[in-house]
Amino acid sequence: MKILVAIKQVAILDDEFEMLDDGRDVDHDFCDYEINEWDDYSLEEALLIKERSNSESEVVVLTVGPEQSEDELRKCLAKGADRGIRVWDDAIEGSDQVAIARIIACVVEKEAPDMVFLGVQASDHAFAQTGMTVAAMLGWPHAAVVSSLDYNSGDNHATLKRELEAGLEEEIAIDCPAVLSIQLGINEPRYASLRGIKQAAAKPVEDLSHTDLGLNDNDVGEAGSVSRIRKMYIPERGHAELIEGTSAEQAKRLAEIIKEFRGV
Amino acid sequence: MARDPKYDILFEPIKIGPKTLRNRFYQVPHCIGAGSDKPGFQAAHRSIKAEGGWGGINTEYCSIHPESDDTHRVSARIWDDGDIRNLSAMTEHIHKHGSLAGVEMWYGASHAPCMESRCTPRGPSQYASEFEMQTYCHEMDQDDINEVQQFYVEAAKRSRDAGFDIIYVYGGHSYLPLQFLSPYYNKRTDKYGGSIENRARFWVETLEKVKNAVGDDCAIATRFACDTLYGEDSIEIERDGLKFVELADPFIDLWDVNIGDIAEWGEDAGPSRFYQQGHQLTWQKFVKTVSKKPVLGVGRFTDPEKMTEVIRSGQLDIIGAARPSISDPFLPNKIDEGRVDDVRVCIGCNVCISRWEIGGPPFICTQNATAGEEYRRGWHPEKFPKAGSEDSILVVGAGPSGGECARVLMERGYTVHLVDQAEKIGGYVNDVATLPGLGEWSYHRDYRETQLEKLVKKNKNSQIALSAKPLTVDDCLEYGADKVVIATGSSWNTDGTNAATHDPIPGIDASLPTHVTPEQIFAGKKEIGKNVVILNYDPYYMAPSLAEKLAGDGHDVTVVSAAPFGHYMHFTLEAPNMHRRMHEMHVNILGDTAASRAEANRLEIYDVYGDGSVREYRGPGKLPRNENKTHRWIEFDTLVLVTGRHSNDELYRGLKARKDEWKDNGIKDVYVIGDAWAPKLIADATFEGHRLAREIEEKRAQYPKPYRREVATWGAPHMPGGEYEIEYQN
Repeated sequence: MKILVAIKQVAILDDEFEMLDDGRDVDHDFCDYEINEWDDYSLEEALLIKERSNSESEVVVLTVGPEQSEDELRKCLAKGADRGIRVWDDAIEGSDQVAIARIIACVVEKEAPDMVFLGVQASDHAFAQTGMTVAAMLGWPHAAVVSSLDYNSGDNHATLKRELEAGLEEEIAIDCPAVLSIQLGINEPRYASLRGIKQAAAKPVEDLSHTDLGLNDNDVGEAGSVSRIRKMYIPERGHAELIEGTSAEQAKRLAEIIKEFRGV
Repeated sequence: MARDPKYDILFEPIKIGPKTLRNRFYQVPHCIGAGSDKPGFQAAHRSIKAEGGWGGINTEYCSIHPESDDTHRVSARIWDDGDIRNLSAMTEHIHKHGSLAGVEMWYGASHAPCMESRCTPRGPSQYASEFEMQTYCHEMDQDDINEVQQFYVEAAKRSRDAGFDIIYVYGGHSYLPLQFLSPYYNKRTDKYGGSIENRARFWVETLEKVKNAVGDDCAIATRFACDTLYGEDSIEIERDGLKFVELADPFIDLWDVNIGDIAEWGEDAGPSRFYQQGHQLTWQKFVKTVSKKPVLGVGRFTDPEKMTEVIRSGQLDIIGAARPSISDPFLPNKIDEGRVDDVRVCIGCNVCISRWEIGGPPFICTQNATAGEEYRRGWHPEKFPKAGSEDSILVVGAGPSGGECARVLMERGYTVHLVDQAEKIGGYVNDVATLPGLGEWSYHRDYRETQLEKLVKKNKNSQIALSAKPLTVDDCLEYGADKVVIATGSSWNTDGTNAATHDPIPGIDASLPTHVTPEQIFAGKKEIGKNVVILNYDPYYMAPSLAEKLAGDGHDVTVVSAAPFGHYMHFTLEAPNMHRRMHEMHVNILGDTAASRAEANRLEIYDVYGDGSVREYRGPGKLPRNENKTHRWIEFDTLVLVTGRHSNDELYRGLKARKDEWKDNGIKDVYVIGDAWAPKLIADATFEGHRLAREIEEKRAQYPKPYRREVATWGAPHMPGGEYEIEYQN
């Protein structure tokens, strides 16, 4: 049994930050990085299935990202994943969620896992599309926002619950292999032990480029994307006014403001 | 990061007499337990603040003559050349950082019992001190006045020779000059008594004489309790207070203004339990309306916003600080560098002060484990030796001890995993800070939380695991750590085990719905009945705090107290207002009363001195005193058990029991710190975590390395060129 878990290294902004000159992204000097919170849960779900399994089973973590994102792969390996795959090259820069999904789908075809888990969304861009786009590209059964999963190694179908609007839940059965996007709270993610961290340093991480996956330059980067970020900015906010003075003065100012708003 | 320009005003130099203070951060005189006899301690503790950016730094109160001897409490002394030599170490080290050094010349009159010097103190009138009720002073005549004023002058010259830039005539806390000023002490009918001008005369003359002697070289300061809080029987700010400012202003370069007296000086050094930042400003701010000289004052200022506001609004010119400078000697630099979130904020617990009040021991700080350890252990508050090995360390428990240990280990560069079951760092502090008035104690947690979150990002192999599953002995063995630190804290006893009998009290059982421990109250899962009895064998804050909390929630509270109720709070200056509050809330305190047994809804209590006063040998199996027959039952709906604590040391003992498996699991050593080792003050738990982190490469790091002692040395006379051999009068 093999489960492929796709993860993403996300940026956390400092309290103060600056935008890049082209106005399309935050200057990364002002960012820290960590694993996307949802991915902790999808990894944990995969590890729990592996631990329950009686047969040989493997959890493979995949990320599409630059060299520094290997840190997040190593953390997953420290928690118990078996090996990592990192796909990156200059051409991939600028890929949107569709281009990233195309890359992930290629890795899935190459690895042929029994299950693919992704987080419902990434906390930085919050598109919540990658998982289901991967499923669409593969033509696999899929379920989004999975909050409970009943699946064991070797099963050819899974029963799961999905979160719907207004607190509703849906219980469905799905054929495997399938692509699931995993919701927060489905389990309690573990911490890595120091032993796990030491062992992770020796576990294999395979670095691939888009050509290794048989993709063309047009399949990735901005060329392979259906959207592009035009502008990233902080919307202008309204401002508050502190009304000072005696009660009478305050009342007078308040009346003025009300008149202004009513356009009197 | 650069300083926020809105704080620029805090960094503007200001002229004080012939000297210039480089900024507005000023460590007022405060005790540390060094005095003149531990010059290394004195020099290192004061100069670390100069390094941290404080523009002016003072000694503690500094006796000018053996007639002002506060033994067993530790003051500095500037009595002779030996003292000049020892205090010079302080001034030299302060000057290296461009700051000014000040000395607070002190004559205590009857508040100083002269237990070492055996002198008789002189005062304006004869009275027994309200602080040291057994000590009387001798009423001065004109000759005495001249002589004591000359003590100040000679001491000022010695101070100048020791390198001091600022010389105080200390009249805060009801010491001699204020005793002349206040009709509460001064009953004279000559030119030194009666009118405000007459009562001010001694102080003003003294200032003038000191200024004439050293005023060209040194700034002259006075610490003035501008309102003693007694009403018209003593000094009130808008009456005698401001008149005195007017009279003394020409002879003063710097005003250091506070309120209160000595017997209840917690009104000045206000504990956070009762007083917030800037609590004296409503009095202090008047001084600048009269004085033409710079005015400074204390008020546990820790927040640069508040400091800026206080100066901008013209209430003070300079921010005085004692406790905030102990908690964070680098407070000014951190503001200057735009690192306000790195400030280790004073929690206002007054444990520092408690050591002076106890008399003798060096001071400690709950927040800053390096306070007082600068010289003897060589601990710098902001610098840490690099990791001595590649060892990775598991710290179990993120309370005061474990949190501090992990912080310092990470500062040193070790790979650290800090694990706690709770969802927050802080351990016991998270509960304690919910008690009435103790909210600011949570700054202890906040500092560590902020630092740990920053530090963990610097080492990708370090980790803070909160809400973690409890670690078992097997988990620890298999964790993969080279070293394991157990900081699992302590719990309140559930069976009544206490300091008096060292045994459980029959019938006490916190598994009953009507018997509760403090932790069970914090957890909030047990219902508390209307009629509450608190059984107390603990001398610190837990019983008074729970009494206040429960009385505030509408319960009828009786405290059965075998330990002196809130005794340690006398030392932290919290006791007077605590007792007032107990009174206001109708808490019934049965002192010297213990418990012999309990049932679900009643407790058998007895007077601890109810047994016979005559002691005699009566043979085996018989007590040497007549039987205590004061036993009686009182009823309750809920019994609160503040009887004692015990270490949560199961994990540590479990690991010790499997020591033979350490090596195979790659474990080099296992340590236990804080309450898990033995229950103690939060300050001491914090210290232990800090100490272990600094000494973890030592062979037996569980036990502290010896520190450098400063003691009088045989063969080295105190007086330069003096004699040290035993000599008798002929």
